Amino acid sequence: MPKAIGIIFANSGSDTLDGLAQNRPVAAVPFGGRYRILDFALSSMVNSGISTIGLVTPHQYRPLLDHLGAGKDWFLERKNGGMFILPGVMHGLAGDNHTFCIKDLQHNLEYLEKDFSDNVVISSGNQIYNMNFMESLQFHKEKQADATLIYKECDNLGNSIDDSLLEMDNDQKISNIWVQSDLKSSHTGHSHFANMLIIRRELLLNIIDKYSSLGCLDLIDILITNLKVLKLYGTPTDSIFWPIRTVKDYFHRSMDLLDCEVREKLWLGEDRIHTKIVDNPPTRYTTHAKVSNSLIASGCTISGEVSNSIIFRGVIVEQGCQIKNSIIMPKCHIYENAQIKYAILDKYVKVNGENVLKGSLNSPLVVSKSTVI
Amino acid sequence: MKQQECVALLLAGGQGSRLNGLTLNRAKPAVSFCGKYRIIDFSLSNCTYSNINTVGILIQYKPFLLNSYIGLGSAWDLDNPFSGGVHILPPFLGNSEGSWYNGTANAVFQNYEFIDFYNPKYVIILSGDHVYKMDYNLMLKFHKQKNSEITIATIQVPHEEASRFGILTVDEDLRVTDFQEKPPQSESNLASMGVYIFNWATLKQALIEDDADYLSDNDFGKNIIPQQLKQAKRVYAYNFQGYWRDVGTIESYYHANMESLREGHFLNVFDPKFRIFSNEDILPPHFMGSSAKIENSLVCNGCIVHGKVSNSILASGVFVGKGVEIKDSILLPYVKVHKGSMVSKTIVGENAEILSGSIVGVEGESTPDQDGITVIEDRHIIPSGSKIAAGENVYRTR
Repeated sequence: MPKAIGIIFANSGSDTLDGLAQNRPVAAVPFGGRYRILDFALSSMVNSGISTIGLVTPHQYRPLLDHLGAGKDWFLERKNGGMFILPGVMHGLAGDNHTFCIKDLQHNLEYLEKDFSDNVVISSGNQIYNMNFMESLQFHKEKQADATLIYKECDNLGNSIDDSLLEMDNDQKISNIWVQSDLKSSHTGHSHFANMLIIRRELLLNIIDKYSSLGCLDLIDILITNLKVLKLYGTPTDSIFWPIRTVKDYFHRSMDLLDCEVREKLWLGEDRIHTKIVDNPPTRYTTHAKVSNSLIASGCTISGEVSNSIIFRGVIVEQGCQIKNSIIMPKCHIYENAQIKYAILDKYVKVNGENVLKGSLNSPLVVSKSTVI
Repeated sequence: MKQQECVALLLAGGQGSRLNGLTLNRAKPAVSFCGKYRIIDFSLSNCTYSNINTVGILIQYKPFLLNSYIGLGSAWDLDNPFSGGVHILPPFLGNSEGSWYNGTANAVFQNYEFIDFYNPKYVIILSGDHVYKMDYNLMLKFHKQKNSEITIATIQVPHEEASRFGILTVDEDLRVTDFQEKPPQSESNLASMGVYIFNWATLKQALIEDDADYLSDNDFGKNIIPQQLKQAKRVYAYNFQGYWRDVGTIESYYHANMESLREGHFLNVFDPKFRIFSNEDILPPHFMGSSAKIENSLVCNGCIVHGKVSNSILASGVFVGKGVEIKDSILLPYVKVHKGSMVSKTIVGENAEILSGSIVGVEGESTPDQDGITVIEDRHIIPSGSKIAAGENVYRTR
């Protein structure tokens, strides 16, 4: 088994998530009723047998750490390896295009230096997927690749402004990487880079050494520059793959979870998604509850109507409420007779009785954390 | 290792035979309760809150599932080796002999070396098959205040029920003057909760004496306590007032579960100020399908519901198919109820499957047994189109 350590970049903010990623990195945004976006990358690595994982966090990492603790719930509180917090250099969470900033790695060089593994598996923490990396690691080893980029074969990934397309020969060796913003219509392709790669640790250290003094460069850009002299390969993943870049991404992907087949594939397979355990009681439905086609987490009390929605942990929905096509994050309290349609409510929002919150399918209403309406 | 003032011994070895199909495959403390918990979660969580960090769990009957569930005790923060932690204590072979545990006192007696190892001042004996929330420190405080040698936790039971319990008579100072096991008639209605605090020195002596007595059943309630009372030891009763439920029979188990569905009683079990910890399985949020109808029920993680559920408890990972009706029932973890079946007033054991078109809990002409509560054993598969009468116990054929 090829030995590898992991790095997850969980330090990018976003201007396009309309306040959901205002005081937290995208990776820390709650998703799927009881998870945070980061849980998917983290669980994928843990389930692949990668037990040493470095998390590149924003400078302000309280919300992340509140969720992660010491990594116990992901089985990363251990002697051999474990979870390492790697504070990034960027101040603030300004959205930027650097998914894998070299400077962040240089700042935490010891994590890479002190290990003995041959390879590093790097992933963005801003995407939903459930993938076992063992096959890709095997492929990477067989090809004796310098780096193996993981891609998703599909028509488009939703908002594709930040996409990169891979061009490969018959042996899966990468001949070109097209960054979408450069694309003219002549380049069409289906092999979308999935912001995940395996790279030889020695090579990564060399790159950091050589390039970090040149400013904030992205690892992928560096690989593109050196394409001719490196052995770069591509390998596909058949996992569900959802990058979350806009509110629309977030909303539509959340609604996709209401499909049985999607859920089977994403989190009911052999490899489960781990998350913080909070010892909530079971959810209670009172005599007035009416729920259909919805995903409901633990610790809730539901006395109203809920349909086509996702209700996170610890939410209270009082009698007479109507919640449709919405996403209600942890610890919200929806008082009697309130109506919520096509909305995303962040944590701790209180909606007082009789209020009506209405967004639309293409423009869901986002209510910030702790707002009282 | 840090010196522990009080060490807990949790009796989890009994068969719990009055729980029929629910304990055919697992020790009673490992039986599911209120959907996501197991009975032992209560005693263990009490230890966590009471800061009792060294807990010996005495096992004997079908311990595998219980042991796997307890693991290292991490789920209850009882995995700190510096302050002791959780220890599974099975019967064992010694230098010259070994034997199965022959009664609650014998189980503790055989493990005196474990207690000696930690050398505490006090030992608290707990049962792993009661559901209650208690801060043992308050009881210990009382024990010290009274300069007691043995303190028994008591709870007031309705007079009509008194004959089911060990009943204590106390004076105004709460000193125990008499103890009767299941008395047909009694004035007092103070029942023993099976929770005792002993000074270790007192307990050691009592166990040695009891072991030497060939006629003894080596039981705390039947032998140790009466014997100590006879010797005029300082025995006091600590009156507990709080959430406590007997779950020893099918009827009491069923009603204790169902009670949590009633308005106002929910908080008894689920009070966030005294949260019960448990070793949860890794499951996603539950899903209510478009044809689902649910009212007055509890649902745990991982469930998939497409049918009608009322007045029921769905434990983790339960599947309720289309056209199914679940009423007044408790579905234990990973139960599957397929298309068109009806389940009424039934406890369905873990991993059991009720295939399509079955009716479980059919009310007949005569008064049913067991308060009309039907029980289906763990892992049992009820064939399609079956009809099971109310009050029946359905076991696998071996």
